[in-house]
Amino acid sequence: MSNGVHEIEDAALLFVFGYNGADSHPIVARRIVRAKQKGAKIICCDPRRIETARIADMHLQLRNGSNLALVNSIAHVIIEEGLTDDKFIAEHSTGFEEFKELAKNYPPEKVAKITQIDPEDIRKAARMYATSGRSMILYGMGVCQFAQAVNVVKGLANLAIMTGNFGRWGVGIGPVRGQNNVQGACDMGALPNSYPGYQNVTVPEIQAKFEKAWGVKLSNKAGIPLTQVPHYVLHEPEEKKIRAYYVFGEDPAQSDPDLHEVREALSKIELVILQDIYMNKTGQYADVILPSTGWNEHDGVFSCCDRGFQKIRKLIDPPADANVLTDWDIICRISTAMGYPMKYDNTEQIWNEVISLCPSFIGATYEKLEKYGNIQWPCRSTDMSDTGTSFLHKDGKFANPDGKARFSSIDWQPPTELENDEYPIILSTCREVGHYSVRTMSGNCRLLRNLEDEPGWVQMNPELCEDLGVKHGELVKVLSKRGSCIARCLPTDRVKKQAVYMTYQWWIGACNELTIASLDPISNTPEYKYCACRVEKIEDQQWAEKYVLEEYQKIRESMGVQKDKGGKAA
Amino acid sequence: MNSFVQGDPMLCIGCRTCMIACVVAHEGKRIFQIDPDGYDFHPKLKVIKTWLVSVPVQCKHCENPACQAVCQSGAINRIDGKVIVDRDKCIGCKSCAEACPFGAVRMTPLCNESNSDGSPRAVANKCDLCAGVEGGPACKRVCPTGALRLVEREDVDQIVANKRQAVVQVASTI
Amino acid sequence: MPVKQITSTCAYCGAGCQISFTVDQEANQILEAVPAPGRTNDGTLCLKGHYGWDYINDPQILTKRLKTPMIRKGGKDSPLEPVQWDEAIDYVAKRLMDIKAKHGPDSIMCTGSARGPGNEANYIMQKFTRAAIGTNNVDHCARI
Repeated sequence: MSNGVHEIEDAALLFVFGYNGADSHPIVARRIVRAKQKGAKIICCDPRRIETARIADMHLQLRNGSNLALVNSIAHVIIEEGLTDDKFIAEHSTGFEEFKELAKNYPPEKVAKITQIDPEDIRKAARMYATSGRSMILYGMGVCQFAQAVNVVKGLANLAIMTGNFGRWGVGIGPVRGQNNVQGACDMGALPNSYPGYQNVTVPEIQAKFEKAWGVKLSNKAGIPLTQVPHYVLHEPEEKKIRAYYVFGEDPAQSDPDLHEVREALSKIELVILQDIYMNKTGQYADVILPSTGWNEHDGVFSCCDRGFQKIRKLIDPPADANVLTDWDIICRISTAMGYPMKYDNTEQIWNEVISLCPSFIGATYEKLEKYGNIQWPCRSTDMSDTGTSFLHKDGKFANPDGKARFSSIDWQPPTELENDEYPIILSTCREVGHYSVRTMSGNCRLLRNLEDEPGWVQMNPELCEDLGVKHGELVKVLSKRGSCIARCLPTDRVKKQAVYMTYQWWIGACNELTIASLDPISNTPEYKYCACRVEKIEDQQWAEKYVLEEYQKIRESMGVQKDKGGKAA
Repeated sequence: MNSFVQGDPMLCIGCRTCMIACVVAHEGKRIFQIDPDGYDFHPKLKVIKTWLVSVPVQCKHCENPACQAVCQSGAINRIDGKVIVDRDKCIGCKSCAEACPFGAVRMTPLCNESNSDGSPRAVANKCDLCAGVEGGPACKRVCPTGALRLVEREDVDQIVANKRQAVVQVASTI
Repeated sequence: MPVKQITSTCAYCGAGCQISFTVDQEANQILEAVPAPGRTNDGTLCLKGHYGWDYINDPQILTKRLKTPMIRKGGKDSPLEPVQWDEAIDYVAKRLMDIKAKHGPDSIMCTGSARGPGNEANYIMQKFTRAAIGTNNVDHCARI
C-alpha cells in the first residue's frame, strides 16, 4: 500500500474497488467504517452487495470482468469535465497526452453495455473521486485475480496521478494484501525477478553486490513464476522441465487453479519436498516431509499489508513429542550439505544480513522494532529518529528513474472463459471470514471449524435458486469444463443472477477443481474471479449428505488424523 | 427496566466475532484445550445479512416476555433485569421459540446430555446478557467496530426524546 | 501457575494485528489471546485473531501436525516413513544435487512462504535457491 492502514480513516473519500475488507481483513474494514463515521464519502465498486457497498454513498455494481472499462471511463469523465490536477500531472508524470487519447474511447454511455452501470452514476463517482481533496483507493483480489489485472492496477494508479492523490496523508492507492506475510515474502525476494528489497536480478550492479555478499556466482536470468509450474512440468520440452519442487509453507494442491492439472504435475515431478507444520493435500504427493516450527514457536519479523515490519515472538516450545526445527535452520542444513554452508545463531543475525543488503530496509533494526513496535519501510537510516515511512511518493517523487509517475494507456479486455450454453453462469472465488487460505490453520481451530465447515457454500441469487429448484442449505453440484464439486446452496440477493461465488479452502466444495489457470501475463495471477460454470440440483439429498460426510472422513484419515480424534463434518 | 444488547447495522461488518465470543463466554476458556466436540457451539445471537443490513439478532429482554408467558415449566424468569432460561427446568416444549416475536430463542441440542432414546437433549437457548460473566456482555466487548452497545433505560429515553424533537420540527415546517 | 503475557503479530491476514497472548510456560500452553495496541489494529481483533490459535495444540480436527521428518523410501507409491533429521537432510541434499548435475539448476523450483515462517526464513530460502542451487526459480503464493 502506498499509504498506511491507520491513514484510511482520514481520507475524505474512499474508492473501494474489488476489495471486500469485511471478509478478508475485518480489522482493515474497521478503518473503512471509521472513515465513514468521520464523514468520509465511500464509493464501492463490486459486483456483490458486500458490507462496504451497504454503507457506501455509491455502490457501482459493475458486471464481473468489466474492471478496466469502468476505470478508464471514470478517467474519461475526469478529463472531460476538467477535474484533473494539471500542476501535478505536469510536474510529476509522463504519458498523459497518450492516455488522454485512449480515455476518449471510454465515455460512460459507451461502456454501459460492458459495465452494466448507469452512465450518470459513473459521472457522479468520477466527480466525487476527483474533487474530494483527499481520495484514497483501496483494491483487492477483485482487481488482481483476473487475466487482465496489472493493467487495472495501472488504470487505478492513473486516476490517482491525474487527480494528484499521491504523496500525502490519507490519499494514495492501497492493494490490501491478503496473507499475513505476503508483503514480507515479496520484501525478502521470494520472487523470481528480484533479490530482497525489490532489487532486480537482471541488473548487473545488483547481481555483483549479491555475488560479493554471498560469495558465489549468481544467475542473471529471471526465474519461473509459481503459477507456471504445472506448465513447466507438463508442457515444456525435456530440457526446460521442472524436476524438483521444494514447497515451503504452501499447499498448491488446494490453493492453485485447475486442481486436476496441479495434481497431474505434482505426480510427475521427480522430487517433491514439503516443509510445513501440518499435513496438507500437497503432502500426499511429497517424497520428503520436513516438519517445522509454527509461527508461535519461533522468532522473526512479518511485514503487514502497508509495509510495516513487526516482530513475531516465540510463545511456547513445540510439543514435547515433535522432532521439528525452525524453517531457516532446515534450509541452512540442506544448503550446508549441498556444499554452500549457511550458519546463523538466531533470526537477528539473519535480519542484520537482510537489512545490510537492502537500502530501503537498513534502518529497520531489531532494536527499533522492539522500541517502536512497527517500522514501515522505507527506513533508510539506522538513526533511532528514523521510524519509517507512512506514505510513499512524498512531494510527487516516484520510483521510476526520472522520478515521475507514468500513465498507462491500456484497453479493456474481456475475461478468458465466457459463459456459454453448457456453462451459463460466472464462477468467482471469494473469502470466508472465519477461515484462512487452505485452512490447515483455521480448520484445526475448534471455534472457527464450528462456525463454518465442509462442504462450504455457493452464494446464489434467489432467482437462480428458484429456477433450479434448490433451497437454502441443500447440497448442489457445481461444474465447469475442468471439474466439479459439491457445496451448500446459500441464496442471497447480495449477488446477481449471472454469477455464483465460492471460497477455495474446502476439500469437498473445492472450487479450484473448477477455476481456470488463465494467468495475467505480468503478475501470473490466475483468473480466479471469472470462469464459466453450471449449478445442478441434486435430487437425492440423503445420498449427497452421506457422500459429504464419508468423503470428509476419508480425506481426514488420509491426512493422518486419528479416527477417534477431532470433529465431525457439518 | 431491563437492558439489552443492540447492534448498529451501519457499523456491523458481519464478521461474527460476537457469535464466537458468546460461546467462549458461556463454555469457558477450557474449550481451547478439550476434545473439539466436547462443548456446545450455540451462539445466543445470530448475525443476519440482507440487502440493506448486517446485524446480530438477539434477545431484547422484554419487560413482559412472551417466552416467559408461554413457558409451562417455569424455566424462564426475570432475574436481576435479565430474562434467563433455566436449562434444568426446560422441558424442550419449544413454545418460547414459537412465541418470541424476534426469533431470539432457539432450541439447541446439548452435547453432553441425552434423552432416553439416546438423542441429544435440546433446550431453549437465548441471550442472558452474560449473567455471571466478568465484564458483562462478551459480544459487545469483542466487536472490532464497536457496533454493539448495551441499551439502558436512559438510552431509550434519549431515543424517544430525539424523536419527539424531530417530529416537532417537522410539524413546525408544515 | 507461571503465566506470562507475550505480544506477537497475528498469523492470519495482512492487517498485522498485535495480540497479547497469555502463556502458561510451565504447561507450555497458550491460554488466551486479547488485542494489544498495535498501529494497524488499534486494540481490536477479529474472530481469527481472538479465537484462531488453538490449532497449535494439534487437536486433529482437520489434519495432523507434522512431528518428524519423513521420506517415501520405496518411491512415489510407497508410504512416508519417519526418519531422523540427518537422514532427511542428506537425502534432500543428495537428490537436489543429482537433479542439478543432470538437468541444471533451472530444473529446480523453490517457494517462499507468505504464512507463519517469517521474513528471515524467506530470506534464507531465496538465498539458498539463488546461491546454493543457482537459479532464480523462487516464488510464493502472492499470485494466488
